[in-house]
Amino acid sequence: MISRVLSARSRFDPIVLGSSLLLSALGILFVASTTAGGRLAGLAARQGIWVAVGLGLMLAAILFDYRTLLKVSFPIYCATLVPLLYLLFFGERIANVRSWIRIGGFQFQPAELAKIATALLLAYLFENEDDGRLRGAAFFKLGAIVGVPFLLVFLQPDLGLALTFLPLLGVGLYFGGLPLRGWIVLILLVAVVCGAAWFLLKDYQKQRIGTFLNPEHDVLGAGYQVRQSKIAVGSGGFFGKGFRSGTQSQLRFLPVQHTDFILAVISEEWGFLGVILVLGLFAALLLRALTLAQAARDRGGVFLVLALAGMIFFSVVINASMMIGLLPTTGIPLPLVSYGGSSIATTFLAIGLILGVEYRRFANA
Amino acid sequence: MLRVRENRRDLSRRIEIGRIVVGAVFALLAIAYWYVQIVRGEYYFTLSENNRLRSVKITAPRGYIFDRNGVALVENEPAYNLQLYRRETRDLEDSESFAVGVLRLPPEQVRARLERALKNPEFVAVPIAENLGIEEVASIEARSPEHPEFAISISQRRLYSHGVVAAHALGYLAEATVDQIKAPQSGYAPGDWIGQKGIEATYEPLLAGVNGERRVVVDSHGREIAEQGRTPAQPGQNLFTTLDLDLQRIAEDYFKERVGSVVAMDPKTGEILALVSSPSYDPNWFTRRVTEDEWTRLTTDPHHPLQNRAIQNAFSPGSTFKPFLAYGALAAGLVDPDARVFCPGYAEFYGRVFHCHNKNGHGWVNLRDAIKVSCDVYFYTLGRRLGIDRIAEISKSFGFGEPTGVDLQFEKAGLVPSEEWALTKRHARWYPSETISVAIGQGPVLVTTMQLARALSGLLENGRLPTPHLFLASQEARSGNRLRYKVETKPGTPLAADKLAIVKNGMWAVLNEPGGTAFGSRVRGVEAGGKTGTAQVVGKESGLAAKGAYADHAWFIGFAPVEDPQMVVAVFVENGGHGNLAAAPLAKALFEKRFGVPPPADTAAPGLLRASNAQPGSPR
Repeated sequence: MISRVLSARSRFDPIVLGSSLLLSALGILFVASTTAGGRLAGLAARQGIWVAVGLGLMLAAILFDYRTLLKVSFPIYCATLVPLLYLLFFGERIANVRSWIRIGGFQFQPAELAKIATALLLAYLFENEDDGRLRGAAFFKLGAIVGVPFLLVFLQPDLGLALTFLPLLGVGLYFGGLPLRGWIVLILLVAVVCGAAWFLLKDYQKQRIGTFLNPEHDVLGAGYQVRQSKIAVGSGGFFGKGFRSGTQSQLRFLPVQHTDFILAVISEEWGFLGVILVLGLFAALLLRALTLAQAARDRGGVFLVLALAGMIFFSVVINASMMIGLLPTTGIPLPLVSYGGSSIATTFLAIGLILGVEYRRFANA
Repeated sequence: MLRVRENRRDLSRRIEIGRIVVGAVFALLAIAYWYVQIVRGEYYFTLSENNRLRSVKITAPRGYIFDRNGVALVENEPAYNLQLYRRETRDLEDSESFAVGVLRLPPEQVRARLERALKNPEFVAVPIAENLGIEEVASIEARSPEHPEFAISISQRRLYSHGVVAAHALGYLAEATVDQIKAPQSGYAPGDWIGQKGIEATYEPLLAGVNGERRVVVDSHGREIAEQGRTPAQPGQNLFTTLDLDLQRIAEDYFKERVGSVVAMDPKTGEILALVSSPSYDPNWFTRRVTEDEWTRLTTDPHHPLQNRAIQNAFSPGSTFKPFLAYGALAAGLVDPDARVFCPGYAEFYGRVFHCHNKNGHGWVNLRDAIKVSCDVYFYTLGRRLGIDRIAEISKSFGFGEPTGVDLQFEKAGLVPSEEWALTKRHARWYPSETISVAIGQGPVLVTTMQLARALSGLLENGRLPTPHLFLASQEARSGNRLRYKVETKPGTPLAADKLAIVKNGMWAVLNEPGGTAFGSRVRGVEAGGKTGTAQVVGKESGLAAKGAYADHAWFIGFAPVEDPQMVVAVFVENGGHGNLAAAPLAKALFEKRFGVPPPADTAAPGLLRASNAQPGSPR
């Protein structure tokens, strides 16, 4: 027992921890690259502070027994829904969306925290739902757990942010063991709902959805962003244009380049090598997380790691696809790298929980 | 605890699949990035370069135009233009009312230009007004803190230093037309100013130079960040014309109240010393953007001020045609210069009576005297003997019926009638009686002032027809290297000197012997020769009074000095009446100026140009 505590450092999984740290360092570096000298100067330092905060949260999450958290996951879940409800009624609109809470000089997206809480509650659900198959009751519980925060965020209305709750549903359904029959029913149901909604929607709403799905038609708005982003990525070539030498980013042709489009900046300045570095680090982190999930000592730990890794995976894939126009622009940041306090802090929190599951693999309850 | 582990087999399998899915998705992403960055990399790199690099034109300064003595005729001057930067404006309506109110600009103009500009990206400056006055510039500068969206740009504007003087020779600049922009290899863009007529058009490539280019790095707002390189503009070459501003001025003054044209030319080289077409226009109107009013006035004027009458309008040459026919007949051996014809004031040919301009008749006249007194009866007789086809042949040998090749656009060829012309073009047989009219320069024969000046040069220069030209030399603005015009002449049949002498003597007598048709315009200080002409607008038989628009056109052609002609002059005054009174005085003034004769004390003032008939007798 004592020996295990003493060897605790070795149980901080070096791959997950290392790739997270490297990614956040890359983030600070490129936030600095794109914001230096302008009115955004100083954002890199803020990003550094957020990373520090995130590391603190991570450490806390590692040291705090996740099983305790699972047990109180329902109250936590409910507590994080409160600010979402508050926002819906009293929220201040920032960029047309009520998804930010402003405290002092900082803005925070409570939805990010709600995601973590949802992941915890999901893990708690499957801790007790230890059947190989996903049964009806569990299925509906899962739907409710993910559905409520999704709806609240969707009504803000921040579709992009709301979508980031969906990987939790996916993780629950897949790893929970939804049978093939269930998948077919689910897909048919979604198709019918979408079809019905299409008929009920007004023309301008359809048009908005059309633009969302096919932004190239909107040359000056979303289409402009995608085009400039593709130019930035493509023009980087294999080796890139060099740090701080990206013309697309340094001359501000890229939109929101330090947040959502930071991968385009890395692609332009460090080229394909930079992309491989970033994707490689994420792949290492996520594949390692899956290994850790397999090794987790209990079902709750397995599902907690899977849910958190699924969220990160989803964001990375959506964001990376967005840069080259494979998916529409939705405002989903690149975890650990993009500028943004809530995203950084909660991702580190998630990493901390993943590491915590590993940390307590051999601990006795 | 054991139970948990047992139930994990399914979950473990799903995680294995999850691992494959994660690996596959990342591999696919890497492939997608490979495609964008490596396969399509060059394409996107070009796009990113286009994004950040803009080419800004450096307009080449246009070459100046000088007269033969180096007096500037056309220069450039700075012009102040008002531009609006849309991205700097807080409220476009407010900007608009500022422009309209403070600058007193026409609201429609401002509105129209703004609307046209809305299609362009925001960083492109919208031209609002050109050629602002210095007070307007000051009032905009004073209010620039409130209206940072307005900027004054300075451009080069063409300045025709002497206004209407030599307008038709110089031409004018105007914005390139759609056709000019679309012409192959034009290289012109909308808004470019190009030479539209005259020298400005003929020597456009020389004068325009080659525009340069700055390659600048811009940010996404179009703001210039840095300059990456530049190709300097090659300034246009300066152009020295053959014009002599002093002579040109005299000619312009003469035509202030008259309609017509004059060409003064060096008969040896074809250098045009003066060229006037009247009425004229001020080419500066065009560079200041012609207002609609001015444009209507220019285009609806019945006298067509934009037309260059010296090359574009052809009229019957009248009696100025006679010396050419006289020489032609002599050279062909068809006439004995001493043989005399009796002129009773009229003669009958082909059953029709043809009158001489002198109703009382000239009595017995030989060829020389027939030129001197311009006896129609003598030339009727000569014409009958020559026949129309020989007349056509003689005319063509002096360059009538073809463009002179002058370095100006839109030159007319005139008309030399012949039997063949009558059949193929007029579709009516040639009547021999028509030949009688053509023999005194009436009827269908049509010539331009330029053609007459060139023909006279040919007569004086042993048949060699010079190509009239305005280009004397060009000069590179940087190096100062000059390029001179290579004189071109059309070699003619060498003339018989003895026969030519008779014609020249007759032309000398026109001015210098009492009884000569232009004796009143005798040139002091230099021996000059010439010939008057009167082109009938209506036939004498028509019964219409030869006044106003029906008044005869006056011609005069002259040369000096007689022994070695240095300058020929052809004057045409529309509805001017008799050549002696309406046209010859200008030639006299030009000769006297050219050959340095000080004006006599009593006529030094404005009366200079109105040559008095009361000249003392011939000094000869």
